[in-house]
Amino acid sequence: MNTTTDPARLEREIEAVGRDLVDHYPSPVRHPIRALDERAIQLSTRDAALRAALFRLVDVSPACRSLDDLARHLAAFAGEVDQPAAPLGAAMRAAGTRAGRVALGAAVAGGVRHMAHRFIAGPDPQRALGELRRLWLAGIASSVDLLGEAAVTSAEADHYADRCREALETTSAAAARYPPRPVLERDPAGALPRANLSVKVTALTPLLRPDAPRRGADDAAGRLRPLLCLARDLDAHLHVDMESFDTRETTLELLFALLDEAEFRSGPSIGIVVQAYLRDSPAELERLVAWAEGSERSSPLTVRLVKGAYWDHEVVEAGQHGWKPPVFELKPESDRNFERLSHRLLERARERPASVRAAIASHNLRSIAHAIAVHRLAGGDDAGLEVQVLRGLGDDLAVALAGAGLRARSYCPVGDLVAGMAYLVRRLLENTANESFLADRAQGTPLDELLAPP
Amino acid sequence: MSGRDEAPALPPFRNEPVLELRRAAERESLRASLAELDARLPLAVPVWVGDDHRTGEDFASTDPGEPERRVAVAAEASAADVDAAVARAAEAQRHWGRRPAAERAKVLVAAAAVLRRRRLELAALEVRECAKPWPEADADVCEAIDFLEYYAREAIRLERGPTLDQARGERNTMRYVAAGVVAVIAPWNFPLAIPTGMTAAALAAGNAAVLKPAEQSPATALALVEALHEAGLPAGTIALLPGHGEVGAALVEHPGVHVIAFTGSSAVGREIVRVAARTPDGQAHVKRVVAEMGGKNPLIVDDDADLDQAVPAAVAFVYAGQKCSAASRVLVHESIADTLAERLAGMVELLRVGPAAELETDVPPVIEREARERILAYVELAAGDGRSLATAPVPTGPGWFCAPTLVGDLDPSSRVLREEVFGPLLALERVPSVEAACERIEALPFALTGALFARNPETVAAVAERSPVGNLYVNRHTTGAMVGRQPFGGNRLSGTGASAGGPDYLLQFLEPRVITEDTTRQGLVVD
Repeated sequence: MNTTTDPARLEREIEAVGRDLVDHYPSPVRHPIRALDERAIQLSTRDAALRAALFRLVDVSPACRSLDDLARHLAAFAGEVDQPAAPLGAAMRAAGTRAGRVALGAAVAGGVRHMAHRFIAGPDPQRALGELRRLWLAGIASSVDLLGEAAVTSAEADHYADRCREALETTSAAAARYPPRPVLERDPAGALPRANLSVKVTALTPLLRPDAPRRGADDAAGRLRPLLCLARDLDAHLHVDMESFDTRETTLELLFALLDEAEFRSGPSIGIVVQAYLRDSPAELERLVAWAEGSERSSPLTVRLVKGAYWDHEVVEAGQHGWKPPVFELKPESDRNFERLSHRLLERARERPASVRAAIASHNLRSIAHAIAVHRLAGGDDAGLEVQVLRGLGDDLAVALAGAGLRARSYCPVGDLVAGMAYLVRRLLENTANESFLADRAQGTPLDELLAPP
Repeated sequence: MSGRDEAPALPPFRNEPVLELRRAAERESLRASLAELDARLPLAVPVWVGDDHRTGEDFASTDPGEPERRVAVAAEASAADVDAAVARAAEAQRHWGRRPAAERAKVLVAAAAVLRRRRLELAALEVRECAKPWPEADADVCEAIDFLEYYAREAIRLERGPTLDQARGERNTMRYVAAGVVAVIAPWNFPLAIPTGMTAAALAAGNAAVLKPAEQSPATALALVEALHEAGLPAGTIALLPGHGEVGAALVEHPGVHVIAFTGSSAVGREIVRVAARTPDGQAHVKRVVAEMGGKNPLIVDDDADLDQAVPAAVAFVYAGQKCSAASRVLVHESIADTLAERLAGMVELLRVGPAAELETDVPPVIEREARERILAYVELAAGDGRSLATAPVPTGPGWFCAPTLVGDLDPSSRVLREEVFGPLLALERVPSVEAACERIEALPFALTGALFARNPETVAAVAERSPVGNLYVNRHTTGAMVGRQPFGGNRLSGTGASAGGPDYLLQFLEPRVITEDTTRQGLVVD
């Protein structure tokens, strides 16, 4: 089937979709705190030294013993900024006295908590249920991600698996009591599970060895298998996240080995991730699609297409080893690849809905509008497409999508602050980068530019 | 210009990229190279002086994982071989040292190209001869290539000599000239990189070199000498003298040797310094000793550290604790000591001890029976002076496998906290503060590497200011120093100073000559 569309027609459709979504955005007046956050993002995007100081402070905050200690850290980081802006100068003066430090520490701790609450749905699954229900009622599905420190021991990996089990049970029980939301519960392939959990291989095994992927895959399989059984029995969706390139082979080996087991023919619903910033992602998508289309499993494989959140790490690591980075080095290359992969993924999902489900995950209005537009122009039903966003960053977009009658799913991290810090820093880093779409939006870039082809 | 054939300038130095073994395709190439090597074992290592090769079966190197497997059979150099090698070297050096640095550099860069071509084969050889796990073996070959490329450029840089102050009526120039004959006495733990580094520095500076490799790794050292010959190094400029301690001792005493470049234990290093200080009749120079010796490397973990990073960095057993830079003492702030101890113990228990050739292995066997016995004795001592917190199973079988061990609560006077074990033994100590940790480190005679995990920049600055170590690693792993990026070397009893792979290293193989000329004639300045 030839799904190539006239480029001009596609661009017109993208613009129409984009404008329609923007019309559904909540008004900023209703969210004064969010406007303030965006102002902070804007500031730190402009000043690299300030940005570095703030990140290092956020990073260390859970390890600080006291408010006094936290303030001392702030003063030390601020001392490394060449020409501290006025607020930092004031902070450094305040850090000179004990009373000043306690006040300053309290302010910082409050700021970090506030920021964490924006990204993290609750300290544990039970206490996140209210937020998950609120989202559902607003027409937004969710996927729970349990934040955790990297597992370096078996006990830590076991603990994570226990938390996953608890999350599956807790969220499934709560989801059973949700009122119906047809957009969120059905697609062309059939029913969609209400409960949805994302899991990380680095937390499921302490034996990740990039040079020996079998070791981690075998060890993680021992913990993932019972979770798959439970998800199948509870009719929940389990999504295996993708992390740094070092872990990709382990993640794929793990998944393919388990899903080929006869026990999992009839479920559960499973998902995997393709990162469009990887140069070889087109081949990976083909491999996944071919596997899904050849599989005898009764439920389709959900492929979540993302740009990728480990760009700095990949480039730094490759640079230190003298390797060509596995990722595209220019952002527009990733954006263009994302569009090509969206096109391909949605095409397979339309043709083989029983094998492949498509989830398009981005906060970039252009990327989302493009996926919706190509899908519609090819005759696709809106129900055959899901858009995923991160809680705290894509909240407005999720509201807009729901308002436009599309299925949006919010990725909701759950966990305490210590465990969440790596996640938080990564998210902040990603979204205060100079080329970040959100930073552009916060700075009031005109819509035409935001919707322009990458 | 009388037909001067000037070599084009070398491109800027760049570290040789290690294999990207996280990619399956790159891992595939390893198996084939090992099979090809195995078919050729044992290799023959000759005494090689000038154009003379003398093979023999005086001793053998064996695979630490399967001691029955002979990797190489070698001839042992005699006292006469030592004399002949030094005499040939002195003669060859007179020509080699007069060549422009760019020409010498060309030979070293060509030798680097030979090693690059033989990369997989040499990595396989290290896997067999020294039980270096693949990533470590590959990194060792890359480091050897780096040393050749880096010192080649350093020789060109230094040939210009420094700029001196000039007064009117005089002309001052300074240049560096090769010291003469360099004896290179090398260890087995970086069986290609360390001999190559010391030899390449000597040759780049215009010296001739006589190489005495470790008796455990003669075949790997032979590859270096072959590469230098293939690259066009004139015969006699490098000699290979396989053998045991007596060969090294004869070189150290030899009046024809100008510089001794040594890497190995602190005891042997100090003995070399003592003997080298003698100036017997007929020796018109004081020998210089460039020594890299042992360490007892501390890793400090402050209470604000990121433990996700500190834990893997502390368990530096990738070469079974046989890298001189590996941490062997963890000094942790008492407020997080229990958490750290639990995580370290959990990680140590998971370590897989096994053959170096398997990528799944975390801890390979140690080099030889004596090493294993020594390490086991320390483990026993540590259990008596404190308690064992964690260990991992070892495979049954003939190899020199040692269980990785974490110990804690050691008596502060325990020898385990002072002496270099050179094995997979890590001691955990609680300290009330980073300052207290620094005090304990200052009390040590060694100062090779140190590591700090802390997130307050003021703590980092304070430890950096205070720590005597040659290499301090902050919030990162403590091994794998890169040529040109992390010049490497110890202070105190850990070494004689200049860091290998850094801008000062070549100066140790050179002597300065300053020429001052009066440029006035009959009271008039005519310069």
